[in-house]
Amino acid sequence: MASAPPKHRQLPDKEAKLFKELLVQYEHKQYKKGIKAADSILKKFPNHGETLALKALTLFSGLPMPATAASQPKQDEAEAMAKTAVKKDITSHITWHVLGIMAKGRKDWEEASRAFAMARKQDSDNLPIIRDSISLYLHTRQYEAAVAARHHYFLLRPNVRSSWLGLMVAHQLNGNNEEALELYDAMVGTINADGASPSEKAQIMLNVVKVCMEMGRDGDGLRRLDRAIRGKILSPRGEVTQLRAEMLSKLGRMEEAVEAYRELIKQNPDNLGYYTGYLRAKGLDVASSPSEQTTSGVLAELDQFAQTYPKSTVPKRMALTVSSGSEFRTRVKPYLINGLEKGIPSLFVDVKSLYQNPEKMAAVGEIVEELIESLQKDSSLHDDDSVAPPTTLLWAYYYLALHLSHPLHPNPSFKRSLDLLEIALKHTPTLPEVYMAKAMVLKRAGDIMGAAETMEEARLLDGQDRFLNGKAAKYWLRAGEVKKAEELLAMFTKKDISAMSDLTDLQCLWFLQEEGDSYRRNGNLAMALKRYQATATVFQDYEDDQYDFHTYCLRRMTISAYLSLMRYEDQLRSHPAYFKSAVAAIEIYTSIHDDPSLTEEKLSPEEEAERKKAAKKAQKADQKAKKAAAASGDAKKEDTPAPDPDPTGELLIKTETPLEDAYKLWVPLERMASGRVETWTSGFEIEMRRKRWPAAYKCLLAAYSLDAEDPTLHRQLVTFAQALPSSDVPDALKTAFTDRLPILSIISSSPRDFTADFLTRHSSSPSHILGAAQGLIAVLSASSTPTQEKKALTGGERKEVIAILEKMAGPDIHPEIGAMRRGIEVLKALQGTEGEVQAFKGLCRGRVPLAGVFSSKEEVEARRAKEVNGTAEANGVKADV
Amino acid sequence: MDIRQATIDDLLGMQNANLLNLPENYTFKYYLYHALTWPELSYVAVDPQGRVVGYILSKMEEEPAGEPHGHVTSISVIRPYRRLGLANRLMRQAQEAMVAHYGAAQITLHVRKSNRAAISLYRDTLGFEVHEVQKSYYADGEDAYGMRYDFKQTAEAA
Repeated sequence: MASAPPKHRQLPDKEAKLFKELLVQYEHKQYKKGIKAADSILKKFPNHGETLALKALTLFSGLPMPATAASQPKQDEAEAMAKTAVKKDITSHITWHVLGIMAKGRKDWEEASRAFAMARKQDSDNLPIIRDSISLYLHTRQYEAAVAARHHYFLLRPNVRSSWLGLMVAHQLNGNNEEALELYDAMVGTINADGASPSEKAQIMLNVVKVCMEMGRDGDGLRRLDRAIRGKILSPRGEVTQLRAEMLSKLGRMEEAVEAYRELIKQNPDNLGYYTGYLRAKGLDVASSPSEQTTSGVLAELDQFAQTYPKSTVPKRMALTVSSGSEFRTRVKPYLINGLEKGIPSLFVDVKSLYQNPEKMAAVGEIVEELIESLQKDSSLHDDDSVAPPTTLLWAYYYLALHLSHPLHPNPSFKRSLDLLEIALKHTPTLPEVYMAKAMVLKRAGDIMGAAETMEEARLLDGQDRFLNGKAAKYWLRAGEVKKAEELLAMFTKKDISAMSDLTDLQCLWFLQEEGDSYRRNGNLAMALKRYQATATVFQDYEDDQYDFHTYCLRRMTISAYLSLMRYEDQLRSHPAYFKSAVAAIEIYTSIHDDPSLTEEKLSPEEEAERKKAAKKAQKADQKAKKAAAASGDAKKEDTPAPDPDPTGELLIKTETPLEDAYKLWVPLERMASGRVETWTSGFEIEMRRKRWPAAYKCLLAAYSLDAEDPTLHRQLVTFAQALPSSDVPDALKTAFTDRLPILSIISSSPRDFTADFLTRHSSSPSHILGAAQGLIAVLSASSTPTQEKKALTGGERKEVIAILEKMAGPDIHPEIGAMRRGIEVLKALQGTEGEVQAFKGLCRGRVPLAGVFSSKEEVEARRAKEVNGTAEANGVKADV
Repeated sequence: MDIRQATIDDLLGMQNANLLNLPENYTFKYYLYHALTWPELSYVAVDPQGRVVGYILSKMEEEPAGEPHGHVTSISVIRPYRRLGLANRLMRQAQEAMVAHYGAAQITLHVRKSNRAAISLYRDTLGFEVHEVQKSYYADGEDAYGMRYDFKQTAEAA
């Protein structure tokens, strides 16, 4: 039995009764009454920790979540009170429990987990505290502690199904499948007696089979699975049969595996994985480069399936991946004809994934040209006298336009693409898809503004279509028109809040990314940072969302799905949306570290006015909220959300610690995106500025082992090799660095050769040319002592750099608008003269005449008119690039 | 296009497709709720680049009066991927899963009164019938048709 409570906790009868009532009132959500009871105890015993804790909790529970403008001060008060309560009574499970609940409410999982651990120390058999602790251990990935707590819970409640299944799951997460399976086999008998529903039994069974598979016990798993199917616990549809087929394959029972896959294909003839599984079980592996014999075997199988399931596209499409040469030609032709006759807009996106193979790309182009030719003549594509639908030619133009302007095309022709689409538009001016294709071609040609205007035309043809609306908004954002984009988006978002707020609430990742990029291109780094950080917050929410499911899934018995959730959350931030935003934000943070003047905004008068208006509005809203709160005295009814304390991103950009902020975003990349060079090159930029040499070196080494020829890495190698000798790094460490990365000493002795050789190796790649130019700048600007500033380049040295940059616009180089644009930025950063910048722009323009970034808007329009009409060649330069 | 059961890894792709295409959107947690309650009932259509271009998000009614019955929370195929019959295929997979795993007797869904293309797909291709009109079902005030399909009809006909 517990010993008598300590003196400071004891209350006289009257207050003890009030305290009990307080507990009941809290549970029944009678918060006002509860606070009254607490206050009358505290009047006499202001130092009674448990009462104080319960008062804090009662106050806290009556507040809206998330906090509103009016409730924020009350929440702060409650939290301070809970902390005081712990100080007043540090050995009470109640004070710690309350602290834990409130930390959980704030989603401060680490602190909550610590507080619950303390609460358990005071009262080890308290079931609700153990339950909460378990969730927190799982959430913070403390699996050993979770197993221990689960085990404790199991001993307290051995007869409840969820307590032993919970322990089983904890073992699985802790990597102990053996223990998990043993426990299951010991307890399984109880399931049938405890009233589990059929779907609960199925979910439990599915998990057990997967445990066996993970342990490599496929025979055991298969026996259990087959028994469950016979016993009607599992239905042999979908995943169940797929697991069966996988186990049969692993056991070498190939004939049965083939039958299982055949059954799966019958259930769903559109599932790609079923066909690859089937072929593998037949000994036909399509993943590795197959022999001729294998290929013909695969094709025969696929043809069979195509006959059995004529409506399924998967076998026909797979055959295109597998076949080659004339075999491919004969197969792709009917595939294309079918798509064009049916007017399938996605035909191009579907087929273009074959373009990695240049031979196939060329074949497809030729066939479409032939088809257009015959359609122009007699509109028949078959050997009989059938007539193709009249829209077939339209879709063929559409296809060819996208084909000719594709980045993988060896000799892309934007002019011809635009001509084709112009014919299509004359023929059918009401089809949004044709305008969309035109916008796409213009975008590829670098005419961002023209692309946006064209996408707008597509949108206007069907104002009710959200897809067109979003595309148009995206193109306006690309063109730097944030306001226009937001106006469009507002047509499909909630009416009472801004499009931006609604899309942020709805976690619309593409919007946050594109708007951040748009602000960044416009030079508004504060707002760009704000959108990128909003993306990071969305990912935090995605992570926090899993919390409720630690208990929920055990109630529903969806264990297998729960385990995949846990695995998914562990690599959540490898998602491209997080990656892109984080890398972009890191670049902004390092640039403002280098040049703090970038944090000072340069506003136009209109922007200034707009800013003032917004500030006024925010102030008004704030006052209104305060008034409302004062009038009602009840925060819950007036739930105006707390106003954004930083609507313009000013607080973000004025950070005192840009490198630490950058590092916070980078940490998840290090763990979850370690296979990408950019992770390491962006980490290097942070660490060099923090002067953490070993960490910077680690990034360099990781990048080097992933892609030694990466253009950004090239410049970073030069920077590092040149800075190292005069750094304060101990000599032993310097030696260790160069021992593992000998290239560093080669660079130190002849840096110019290093850059020149790099350029020779990659003389036809624009991004590498840019890297070589930046490498040379690093060589030329290196100073001889560590205290010195970087040297400015002389005019002659700058000419050397320009000579490299100009190679990007060379006649035999596939032009890359992005690299060219960065070339201009590099030149400007070098203090290049206006004449030098204009000359370089002129060269770029000669290569990509439609690209707006290299010329004025009027110039682009005039040129486009000429290009489209095909009457003249602008400045004697062909549009074909 | 590849059509397969949705996994946790597909949910953000589904959320993205939904935001691109439809006026009714949900936060990630709502997708999680579906996937972690009825893991077998949601399907995705994926393009060769691995992008989710269509999906069906479905569930079982929690407290059915009488026999178990399934419900389509949301189904959508993004615009460039129409005319491939993806919605039809997604729907059939979800339906068969409901019957096989939960013994569903019928399936219901809501559709905007003005969405003629969808209504025609549900009624003419998939055999659904309108069984009720729900006034101002949508946030913008538009009415919804409640549509229903009885799995038993097919069983008896077969």
